[in-house]
Amino acid sequence: MALLRGVLSSGVGRAGVALLLSLVVLSIGVVLTFPPGFGLTRWGDPAVWADNPKAVPPVWTNVLGGSAAEHRTLSIGAPVDVRQSGPAELRTWELPFAQGTGALPTFLSFTLGRVDYAGRPPSYRLLLVRPDGVEIPLVRDVVRGPRPGETGPYVRYADEPYRVLISSDPAVTEEAADALGAQYGVTIDPASLRGRPEVALFGVPDGAGGYTPLAGDYRFRLAFAFADPADVLAEAKVVLGGSVYGWAGTDTQGRDLMEGLLFGLPIALLIGISAAFVSTAIGTALGLISGFKGGRIDLLIQGAADIINNVPLLPLLIFMVFVLGSQLWLILLVLVAFSWPGLTITIRSMVLGLSTGSEVEAARALGASTGRILRKHIFPHTAPFVVTQMIFFVPGAILAEAGLSFLGLGDPSLPTWGQILEDGFRTGAVFLGYWWWVLGPGLALVITSVTFMLLAIALEPVVNPRLRGGDRG
Amino acid sequence: MGIWRPIATRAASLFLVLIAVLVLLVLSLGATGYSDRILTAIVGEEMRAVRTALAAQIKDPDELEAAVRTQQEELERSYGLDQPWTLRMPAMVARVLVLDLGEARTVRTTTGSNSVAEIILERLPPTMLLITTSLLITAAIGVAIGTWLSTRVGSRSDRIASWIAAVSNALPGWWSGIVLIFIFGFALRWLPTGGMYSTPPPTDPLARALDMVWHAILPILTLVLVSIGPSVYVVRTMTMSVAQEDHVTLARAKGMSGGSIARRHILRVAAPPIVTGLILGLAASLGGSILVETVFGWQGMGRLYYDAIAGTPDEALIVALTFMFTLLYVIARLILEILYVLLDPRVRTGGGRRGAA
Repeated sequence: MALLRGVLSSGVGRAGVALLLSLVVLSIGVVLTFPPGFGLTRWGDPAVWADNPKAVPPVWTNVLGGSAAEHRTLSIGAPVDVRQSGPAELRTWELPFAQGTGALPTFLSFTLGRVDYAGRPPSYRLLLVRPDGVEIPLVRDVVRGPRPGETGPYVRYADEPYRVLISSDPAVTEEAADALGAQYGVTIDPASLRGRPEVALFGVPDGAGGYTPLAGDYRFRLAFAFADPADVLAEAKVVLGGSVYGWAGTDTQGRDLMEGLLFGLPIALLIGISAAFVSTAIGTALGLISGFKGGRIDLLIQGAADIINNVPLLPLLIFMVFVLGSQLWLILLVLVAFSWPGLTITIRSMVLGLSTGSEVEAARALGASTGRILRKHIFPHTAPFVVTQMIFFVPGAILAEAGLSFLGLGDPSLPTWGQILEDGFRTGAVFLGYWWWVLGPGLALVITSVTFMLLAIALEPVVNPRLRGGDRG
Repeated sequence: MGIWRPIATRAASLFLVLIAVLVLLVLSLGATGYSDRILTAIVGEEMRAVRTALAAQIKDPDELEAAVRTQQEELERSYGLDQPWTLRMPAMVARVLVLDLGEARTVRTTTGSNSVAEIILERLPPTMLLITTSLLITAAIGVAIGTWLSTRVGSRSDRIASWIAAVSNALPGWWSGIVLIFIFGFALRWLPTGGMYSTPPPTDPLARALDMVWHAILPILTLVLVSIGPSVYVVRTMTMSVAQEDHVTLARAKGMSGGSIARRHILRVAAPPIVTGLILGLAASLGGSILVETVFGWQGMGRLYYDAIAGTPDEALIVALTFMFTLLYVIARLILEILYVLLDPRVRTGGGRRGAA
């Protein structure tokens, strides 16, 4: 408690504590809300990110003067129209949206979620209804039919939604050319719209091959013909691709980097704190034993500490992780194995000083056991120093893991900041100008490490009175 | 005599470090089956040559196969592949020691050789250049700013410096490198974004050297940037605590000038711990150089390490590089230990102070 009060007495300490509290709150939130197995089932699954724009900057870049298209996802609600035609039922949904004269959507896609039908597969079409009244058919299809030998009722697209990338469908360019040509009395070559039908879908032909954007209220109309009134369409959506996305942008697979950044936080804290705790515990225990027992054990521990303390950490870390494999717990184990000695050496020399002191002498005279003396009369004196060292070690462990991940030795089932940076670096984010891919995870690393550095710096004068404003302790 | 004893002790203990690392390398290679793989690859390499040689002499295919097989068995025996890895350990230690690890998979030297030893020797100078330059710059700036700050403990500049030290310590060097590339290489286009030479490299030796310096600016800046904070902080703290000692007060009382007190009574005494700080800084730059070279495509041992891990891992190169980094580190530490002994008279007489830890 005295430690905490000491930390809070300085500005550096208060900043550190405030940062730490917010990081902890944020990571608890992440742990509670993110799905378990996020790394493999979500982050590592390209299908999840298919509808996101690829490698686009964060939304807030718009504030800085950009005029990028925002990313919009329109999902169906209740049908606006249900009509019987014979035994069949015709259901219609409408998805209204506004389109300004600014940036066009970068792509259009249509995704069909779960469909249940009893007998005949339902057929459906998707139309774009424009403010000028022109209707352009975008998708026309039938839900996948029964397989040979399969009996109803049938469930389709439940596990894997059915996705159509409208922008790259040649039929759409032809429909758009036809519909616009008829309305405005011009002939349009569909080939000129290949791969980029949006200019025509959201524009008016000027007759010279160009288009002027048409602003106003648009609608997607989805019409389903079910053979049986009990058939159900559970989910469908249209995505208007943006040229900015989320608070941290996306990578080349369309992954929302914000999710990766958030998920990386509890992992980084876990890595830093657990590695720091275990290696401090080992280092302190060995230091206590070594200093108090003396003799052969002391020689052995100090010999080992001296050797391990003198090896270059990162090359050996790389080698060991490469040889042993890159599961997170192995990385932590190796990290701990190489980082206890510094503390052991210092604690030992502290113990040597303490064990000849009068307090220990008195305890010994009263018949206290070795364990009791160590616990009650020696360890408490070293505790503040130990705590400082532990905090000091946290950023080291976090940065070491990040370095390993950056070299491609990270645990593939858990995306960390280092791995996101590695992805970015390997993809050439630096040379393609995808700054958001590199700055986000790096800043996250720096902020987390700085938090612990600030705490350690604030603790130092509390622990080491000699640094307290010039007086000699 | 007085100087040699402590140096010999340190040399012996550093040699022990080297051996311990070697044994650790070989142990982990053996237990995980990597050493089998490396040796099998070497045998396979040699057998290819043997087969062509034999094929020229023996025409009958069956006879050829038999001859090849006996040759292969003989080779495997000579490499100890017929024994369990535990028995092979001493031989393997010796192989690593002289970098006799066969041939690299894809990496070649500029002259086209694929021998692991030659590749590593070719990549050594660029790494040394980066590390030594940045270490010297860091030390110079650290001593200059650190001693200046130690006279102003508690002042605003001192507080700012401790903040900067904290941030610098928390900064992953490789990431700062990427950011620097972004700013100076990509956005401003002032400096090259990576590599050691322009393409094509200048032919004139002087122009070539200048071109390399040009390419080295950003990597060195990166290495200095991440080590400067701790360096300044160590020097400041060390000089500050010496400055509070009695002999300095006495010198001041005698009316000595500030400059000569700083030189003769403070820096002289604070030098050994500062050297220790440098040693620790070196450890950081050695490791950091692996990542920084990777980021900048600097064709030294660090980038080689990355290339050996990425894609199909090249075990032989990885082992050789790990050993080389340890060797470099041990040598550098020995040099600094000698400096330490020269600087601190107490070590010479075997009194008081412990060795650098």
